Amino acid sequence: MRNKLYKWILWAVVIIILAVFPRVLGIYYTNFFVGFVIFSLYAVTLNLLLGYMGVLSFGHAMFFGTGAYTTAIALTHIQGFPLLPAVLVGGLAGGLLALILSPLLVRVSGTAFAMLTLAFGQLIFVLALKYREVTGGEDGIGGYPIPPLNIPGVLSVDMTDQINFYYFAVAVIAVCLLILWFYTKTPFGSLVVGIRDNAMRMDYLGFNLPQTKAINLTVCGAFAGIAGAVHALLMKLVSTVGVLDIHNSFAPIMMAYVGGVGSFFGPIIGSGVLHLLEDLVIRFTARIGLVNGAIFILVVLYVPMGLVGLFSAAKAKWFHKEKVS
Amino acid sequence: MSPTAVLYVAQAIHGLAYGMLLFLVASGLTLIFGMMGILNIAHASFAMLSAYFCYQVLLMTGNFWVALLIAPVVAGICGVLTERFLLRTVHKHGHLAELLITVGIMTVILEIVKIFWGAESLVVKIPQSLSGLVNFAGLTYPIYRLFIIGLSIVILGFMALILFKTRLGKIVRAAVSDADMVSALGINTPLVFMLVFGIGIWLAGVAGAVAGPLLTVFPGMADQLGMDAFVVVVVGGFGSLGGAFIVALFLGELNAYGIQFIPRLAPVLMFAFMAFVLAFKPMGLFGERE
Amino acid sequence: MNILETKGVYHDFSGLQVLFDVNLQVEEGERHAVIGPNGAGKTTLFNVITGTYQPSRGQVFFKGKEITGARPHKLMRLGVGRSFQITSTFNRLTTFQNIRLAILSKKGIRFHLFRKVDKMQDITKETDEVLRRINLDRERDMPAGMLSYGKHRSLEISLALAADPDLIMLDEPTAGMSRDETHYAVELIRRLTEGKTVVIIEHDMDVVFSLADRITVLHYGQILATGPPVEIRQNQAVKDAYLGETEVEFV
Repeated sequence: MRNKLYKWILWAVVIIILAVFPRVLGIYYTNFFVGFVIFSLYAVTLNLLLGYMGVLSFGHAMFFGTGAYTTAIALTHIQGFPLLPAVLVGGLAGGLLALILSPLLVRVSGTAFAMLTLAFGQLIFVLALKYREVTGGEDGIGGYPIPPLNIPGVLSVDMTDQINFYYFAVAVIAVCLLILWFYTKTPFGSLVVGIRDNAMRMDYLGFNLPQTKAINLTVCGAFAGIAGAVHALLMKLVSTVGVLDIHNSFAPIMMAYVGGVGSFFGPIIGSGVLHLLEDLVIRFTARIGLVNGAIFILVVLYVPMGLVGLFSAAKAKWFHKEKVS
Repeated sequence: MSPTAVLYVAQAIHGLAYGMLLFLVASGLTLIFGMMGILNIAHASFAMLSAYFCYQVLLMTGNFWVALLIAPVVAGICGVLTERFLLRTVHKHGHLAELLITVGIMTVILEIVKIFWGAESLVVKIPQSLSGLVNFAGLTYPIYRLFIIGLSIVILGFMALILFKTRLGKIVRAAVSDADMVSALGINTPLVFMLVFGIGIWLAGVAGAVAGPLLTVFPGMADQLGMDAFVVVVVGGFGSLGGAFIVALFLGELNAYGIQFIPRLAPVLMFAFMAFVLAFKPMGLFGERE
Repeated sequence: MNILETKGVYHDFSGLQVLFDVNLQVEEGERHAVIGPNGAGKTTLFNVITGTYQPSRGQVFFKGKEITGARPHKLMRLGVGRSFQITSTFNRLTTFQNIRLAILSKKGIRFHLFRKVDKMQDITKETDEVLRRINLDRERDMPAGMLSYGKHRSLEISLALAADPDLIMLDEPTAGMSRDETHYAVELIRRLTEGKTVVIIEHDMDVVFSLADRITVLHYGQILATGPPVEIRQNQAVKDAYLGETEVEFV
């Protein structure tokens, strides 16, 4: 009972912090925070494949990027395209891409899966570069209108105001994370984890592996697409760099690993840590890539269970000590 | 000779040269994967490192041949150190960890290169002796590309000799096929691993150094080369040198002709092909090991 | 009726012939043992029946319907369950979660996205009941990978059984078990397969003779003999095949 109370208090505190955040910390950190939550969602979707289903998506940026570009294109070409549908259409695009690729993706696992997703990720990157008429090539797409949040007859909130956008983005992503969290707790979620541990046995228990994998892939693609869509709204510019390139495929992997692939919240923590680190390091040097890479190597070498894993192990040790003494 | 024929031949030579470079890079990659189970994402990064070393030595000595000799060796040493201190440590954490650490290494090499040499493209001039064109049978061929082809053939011939005619080569081939068995026979597998890794990187280093004048030396060099090398290894088959050879040449020609005639479609075809091979024959067209 | 039947099954691995004209007949409700020296093709036969391999030739029938080469998950849904010689469980999941997966499959709960699985009381109850019956209730929250060998093997067999198939195929269920563990496993199998059909590959002759209603002897991929234990014991061809291969007392 006490545990539950503590949990509710914790969440209440979190919500309060989120609510007052922009007023207290200013525009820079407001946008910074939105970037952090976007990548949190993005990294969580990667981990739903890595930590939960046991496959490494090496080209995850293709889902993020497809979402981002779809949103940008929709807002550019369709007059008066509303806000929420703009986000949803990004999610739809990401999910659709995953669905289309799933017949091939479900056939493989392990290194082959990583290579296949790498190949597709690169393919889509190259396509975006080459088909300038659609994607603007290297220059990308920018200058699209950011629609207001409209509830007809009730209110219209201007989303070009960065603080308003903060609330919108955090709310949307929080809802997505909640949905995904619940998703992992459903019977279907336990099927996914079963596949990770022993795909063959799942087959023999009567579960349709290709279908199950395809559904999980689609869910991951869709929510990664939503992350991309919100990113497009935040940055007001979408180009291949930082959206579809391979470094954007590596980023969520690093975040998931640093935070811990064995937990739902790991990637969120990883996203936070890496964002903070980048913000800190950038004051001293532009070489954040080096710092990121070095940290990643250290984590893989010495802390492969991630921060969450480290914390759990420490907690277990501490409690054991308590019990003993 | 009609201009179109000249064009075709020129493209063929380009394709062959690039294909050879690809094979140099891919051969190390496929041997390393076949033997150690590590897919070295950073492999092309070492090639790039070697290209930068070559530029530096050239800057300091003014002699291309010296640079060509030293750069790959230095890169190879870096590779050996990487294997010894990073890869070996992470081995116990499994294949995923190995894969991920090579991602980290790739990132770090990229940044190091930018720190020391900046982000701009560096020009490495083709030495006098290798520049220009040569006439033969009514066609003109760029000498440097012929040099690349020739050098690659020499090196690969040498490698083939070692692999198939010496005891060491036999051990290496056996280790690629079944490392555990070789270890059980009492052979110092860690040493063999280190050796093969180093040589694999050295081969990539040669390719990188030689490619410098061709592709210009810039931080994005590893991306194109690396991706192509992966396609070669994946399609040709993990651990299969013959497969890598065939696919590398095929890809080189596809690139050359593709970029000329179907610039937008070429990469799509390549990736699509790789995707299908992966999905239906995960061990590659000629591969034996998973 | 023959619940399981193979007709003229041949199988080869790239030229190496492993099964020759195997005509196996398993009656409904019986416990049927498949024995034979190592390499006789027993596991291959299992693999052909359960859809892991497509036989090079021949057909497999379950409940009268052809199932040749049908995928494992389809077979399971039709009512065929299988355990493995090398323990194959969900090692990072708890014992409870392992069995729960089997229960979820049995109840056809596959694409359920609308409730927390932990809150599904009926599933939890049924899983706990199974754990009680197989005596793993105390290890309920232990990761399967940490179970002792015997208990791990128990879990292995129980995974095949918990999904409640009509036909259960057990591949060397007592492999690597001590005398006591074996005894215990046999009792478990006997208890949990009441009214079901069991096909079991075994090397331990005590197990075979105490469990089996009928025995099929496989030798170099061919059926040497089929019949009740008494007959098999006295079969000369069987004795010849086994002499020097296994130390068995056919007294």
